Amino acid sequence: MNKFVKFGLPALALGLLGWGWWLGLAWAPPDREMGDVQRIMYVHVPLQWMAMMAMFINFVAAVTYLLRQSWKTDALAEAAAEVGLLFGTLGMITGSIWGRPTWGVYWSWDPRLTSEAILLVAYTGYLVLRRFVEDPEKRAVWSAVVAIIGAINLPIVWFSVRWWRSLHQTQSSPKTVDPQMVLPLRVAAFGMLALMILFLVHRYRIALAERRAEVALPEALPTDDPALRAAHSSKVA
Amino acid sequence: MIALTSLSSVSSLMVLAQTTVGSGRLQGGWGYVGACYGISVAAFVLYSVSLWARRPRAASDSKE
Repeated sequence: MNKFVKFGLPALALGLLGWGWWLGLAWAPPDREMGDVQRIMYVHVPLQWMAMMAMFINFVAAVTYLLRQSWKTDALAEAAAEVGLLFGTLGMITGSIWGRPTWGVYWSWDPRLTSEAILLVAYTGYLVLRRFVEDPEKRAVWSAVVAIIGAINLPIVWFSVRWWRSLHQTQSSPKTVDPQMVLPLRVAAFGMLALMILFLVHRYRIALAERRAEVALPEALPTDDPALRAAHSSKVA
Repeated sequence: MIALTSLSSVSSLMVLAQTTVGSGRLQGGWGYVGACYGISVAAFVLYSVSLWARRPRAASDSKE
């Protein structure tokens, strides 16, 4: 394995994430209204960004697979969906915890939260489908179609706070946020990006190894066709 | 009776005006902050362990 992936990327991820979170927890000022509770932003927002990015990678890999079939793009799609689901679930949990002191409830059927929940259910379904279909080619095609349908929800989640009245605030920009809050958010986001890429690379290698083993497996098994069985036995001999 | 109620309302408003009601900043909440960071770190550690447990064996490593 590449030395950068093995040592450099974990060090970069841990370093940036540790630095960004330290800045967010100890250096950045408390929010004018939310006080110290706002420091959840430095973990919640990067988690959500990386979830959206991983799910977008899943969409691109799915489209690429349908255009030009390759186990590599199928493996990348599987890896991106799992990593995206991990980050998205954590994003939802941290958002829910943030909601309790600020909104007074852990959960509300608000447009952003509801669309995000549907997104997570869709990607869970995607991974369940992959688990239940045994034929690798059918699994790749069917899951690619589900991935493309699931990705329709990505822009809905992103723009839900603008399209509908939502408890959730609209996206901030560096112009509307204190510079002492922008720096920790950026550092934590780059740290989370490094971590997401690290997870993606490792999960991709696992998925690709599984695909190669699956594709190789039928040749290794004894066949019912006598002609093929004779050919196979002569090969072994 | 009406005069008495009005007087009571006015005095209530005067009391509210003297206090710091409306400063609007949440106090405390570090428990929520700790929970968010703790859950995220724990999940990352668990997922890293799961990736390590599922890693392809040495044969596929050597091909790459």
